[in-house]
Amino acid sequence: MEEEKRYYLTKEGLEKIKKEYEDLKQIKLAKTKGDVPRVLQSEDLNAEYLAFQEDMGFLDSRITELEHILKNTEIIKNPHKDKQNAIGLGATVLVDVNGQSDEFTIIGTLEANPVLGKISNESPVGRALLGHKIGEEVAVSSPVKTVYKIKKIKYRIG
Amino acid sequence: MKNILNFLVETGKLKGKARRGWMLHGIKNSETTAEHIFYLAILSWLIGKQKRLNIERVLKLALVHDLCEVYAPDITPYDPLLPKDKKKIAEALKKWPKFTNALRIKKDKMKNHSEDKAISKLVSKLPGNLRSEIKSVWLDFCKGISKEARFVRQADKAVNFLQGIEYWKKYGKIQHKLWNRWIKEIIDDPALIDLIKAIEKKFY
Repeated sequence: MEEEKRYYLTKEGLEKIKKEYEDLKQIKLAKTKGDVPRVLQSEDLNAEYLAFQEDMGFLDSRITELEHILKNTEIIKNPHKDKQNAIGLGATVLVDVNGQSDEFTIIGTLEANPVLGKISNESPVGRALLGHKIGEEVAVSSPVKTVYKIKKIKYRIG
Repeated sequence: MKNILNFLVETGKLKGKARRGWMLHGIKNSETTAEHIFYLAILSWLIGKQKRLNIERVLKLALVHDLCEVYAPDITPYDPLLPKDKKKIAEALKKWPKFTNALRIKKDKMKNHSEDKAISKLVSKLPGNLRSEIKSVWLDFCKGISKEARFVRQADKAVNFLQGIEYWKKYGKIQHKLWNRWIKEIIDDPALIDLIKAIEKKFY
């Protein structure tokens, strides 16, 4: 476990983690007593919990991981208005890459999902873009040079 | 035992299922889904060990992650934007596929639905404990719940990048510049970022 790691989460992401943690603790408690966990009978059951109900060792390791995340979380907030012209966590960025436009949001690793346009701040592209402003060109270093021209920056976090 | 044998025979079909992405790129005798699973399992084991992950979990995740393709279609990042005309496909592959957010969400939902149906069908006749284990490992992979699953999800992309670069060096038919851009947007695991750097150093 990486002790120093910070987890950047949206408010919604943090709520999801907290709910999972509480539900998994309930599953563990009920299974220790030999009961059928109430959370497994509820209608709003997250299908993911099925992944843990049969495997106590795995359930324990997920609970430990969630505790670690909750202890090291930082909520992503919109920056002050005069800093919203620079790319920070939570920014949705419109870029031009080799003549093609693309739009994505820079988010923490736990909520990143590139398929849905959510890029991790720890990815090479996420790292390279952070701090840059509209009109700037950012080259991502590699044998192949890819240049991201920043067209727009928006903050949509609630 | 009969149901386990039937499951094996069905999953064995992946040994002969060429991966669609490579076929679209015109790669002859390309990697099959089973070969991709093998490559991913080895990579995940070696790097997962360095990361001190639960290797039993890591290997199960790698083995299970594409089993749904016995019945579900092998969807590429370009679907459903690919034209039917083969010549136009080559042209389309030269550019990065562009989706609206709404289409991204729709595509993801459809893929999940089709794969969920496929994996449920595949394991349906297995004994209960095996059925629930395979289904739960698969669900963990799809949702990226455990740290092992989040790692194997990214390792899946890294091994695809490696295979793509190997094909580029051998046949030159892969848009390696696009692949380079893609991999740097989707991988954030430090060990896998190091692997990508090592791949670039070896092949460029």
